[in-house]
Amino acid sequence: MEVTVAANPELDLSGVPRLEEVEFHAVSRKYLRLRLGVWGGTQLLILAAAVAPAVAHVLTEDPEWAMLSQWWWPVGVQSVFALLWFLEEWKGFPRRGYAIRERDITYRTGWLFRTTTTVPFGMIQHSELVQGPVSRLLQIKNLRLFTAGGSGNLRIAGLDEEQAETLRAILETRTRKV
Amino acid sequence: MDFHRPARQHPLGVVILAIQFLIKGVQSFWPAIVGVSLTQLDWMTLLLIPFGISLGVAWAILYYLRFTYWVEEGSIIVERGVIQRERLQVPFAKIQAINLFQGPVQQVFGLTGIQVDTAGSSGSEFKIVAMRRDAAESLRLMLAEHGVQAGEDQNSDPVDASEEDGLQDSTHAYRGRTMVDLDIARLIKVGLTQNHFRNGLLGLAVISSLAGGLEHQIEAWLSGLPAPIAALMAAATVLLIVPGFILMLLAGVGVSLVTTVLRYFRFHSEIGKQGVFMESGLLRRNTFQIPFDKVHLTDWRSNALQRVLGFETLRIRQAQAGDAASGVGVRLAIPAMEPEHKAIMEEVLYPDLSQGVAITGRPVGRLRWLLWLAALLPGTVPFLVWSPWLACAFAVFWLPFTGWTTRNRYRAFQLTVYQDAVVLQKGWFWRQRVVLKMSQLQGVEWKRHLLLERRGVGHLTFHTASGAKRFSYLDRETGFRIRDWALNQLHVNR
Repeated sequence: MEVTVAANPELDLSGVPRLEEVEFHAVSRKYLRLRLGVWGGTQLLILAAAVAPAVAHVLTEDPEWAMLSQWWWPVGVQSVFALLWFLEEWKGFPRRGYAIRERDITYRTGWLFRTTTTVPFGMIQHSELVQGPVSRLLQIKNLRLFTAGGSGNLRIAGLDEEQAETLRAILETRTRKV
Repeated sequence: MDFHRPARQHPLGVVILAIQFLIKGVQSFWPAIVGVSLTQLDWMTLLLIPFGISLGVAWAILYYLRFTYWVEEGSIIVERGVIQRERLQVPFAKIQAINLFQGPVQQVFGLTGIQVDTAGSSGSEFKIVAMRRDAAESLRLMLAEHGVQAGEDQNSDPVDASEEDGLQDSTHAYRGRTMVDLDIARLIKVGLTQNHFRNGLLGLAVISSLAGGLEHQIEAWLSGLPAPIAALMAAATVLLIVPGFILMLLAGVGVSLVTTVLRYFRFHSEIGKQGVFMESGLLRRNTFQIPFDKVHLTDWRSNALQRVLGFETLRIRQAQAGDAASGVGVRLAIPAMEPEHKAIMEEVLYPDLSQGVAITGRPVGRLRWLLWLAALLPGTVPFLVWSPWLACAFAVFWLPFTGWTTRNRYRAFQLTVYQDAVVLQKGWFWRQRVVLKMSQLQGVEWKRHLLLERRGVGHLTFHTASGAKRFSYLDRETGFRIRDWALNQLHVNR
């Protein structure tokens, strides 16, 4: 863009509120249990699939398929990915959280892959509180925020029921105000 | 014109609907049709053709009779459906785009269709396929005028606004200064500066899918030849690479010209007080009116050839209906925008562009090496295919060539932030410039993985109602400054 020097005054940025200074609220610890449960279940399934050829080989003892008995290759590869995923869950959980300012809500996730998304209250079209059967057992709720076009949609998962209702109430008043 | 009483479409709409249903029928049953026509072609199956046609016509008549529309208390209401009835109520204020279109059939009968799009989950789009031109124009004016008024001033009841005044005003709202107007010479220029390489590949795909059986014939022919001659023929195919490439480029130019003429024939655009007007097309003529406040993103694109002519293609993006990933948003393109047109457009849409830059951002140097690395990968393919010496010779050419192009590409990345506008620039041969407004932002996202986080680098994504735009490999300090500025200006400018 061609901007001439004369028409290019410096803008004052010092008064702009800084997002990195806000305090993030953690989501419920119970949600960590749910996520680790999903991790464990998936790993068990993959482990079963990885060991199955070796077991089949032991049962049939077909010498042509001797290479199947080397169960440590698939299990080794799996354990690397399992460890990475576990680290993502374990180290990422304390980083998972939301922050509320006067006019926007910020949600932060991830350890290996980190995202921080901010959505202004004024742009939220509608919100949804979702609770599946497992979430109901653990008494947690997921909050989904929808924006126009769908590109900025936000899903804040694993909120305590009370926390979720409070957040929803805040959202309702703020969304109306803006 | 009175739209307050339920009305049907123009009676000739039956013809258009019948043709549409027949085409749809053939499209959805074509595997069955092809299958049947190849295996058992007797009298019974041939009788299916008139049966299918009469079914389509009967369905069209029923659909026509059961389709009514009218205007009521600031919304347009459509009732449709033969078996399952549907009643759509679209408030004027929710309307994103009103598009008049004339397909070949409509052009023959001098009719026009009208298509109404909305954004988000508040409603779905509908089409009235056949209306008299003047009726469609006045309906469009009515919808557009009320929509814009309601958008500007929430307090005024859109129904109270005097209709007659509204109609007169809105003729000027989208008309005024002529912008791009394509005569035959300029149309051909636009066609000749398209991306022929891509179009050539497209043409190649079409040809190869049509000539699917040809491979087997060639194979059969080759197997009939004596072995030494066949080997010679196979070796000779190498000689076909260059003429084949030229043929593909020629095919590309052909495809470009045809698609350009179909799309931009008699292209005309104007800019008014409230929005942009444009009409174009050969077989299907579209007429668009885009209010400025419904423009969520402008995307300027040009390649080196177009820049020689001083042309840029402007894509105007409006809010997407439904999911962003589905990409169903209304996309409009104005080709052959010259610098003066660009200046007019940007002055209206983004007046703050002349008020000074707030922040500029450039990707970190690491991106340059990553781009080069990615560009070098195709250079390793010859080592697998050709002799080592030939591959080395190619590498000697490829290494500096990609180094040079990568340098230019890297230098082209630029993020410029103004009072309300954000400008994302990239590309060197194919240049792209996206402008969006912070006051229309739906969200801002800062994304990075662990290694980038350690180096203080990340990607900044701007979420808009017409999709996300990302600027990658920005250093954290600049990224945060831009994010804070955007989140602040969003409210300041609203």
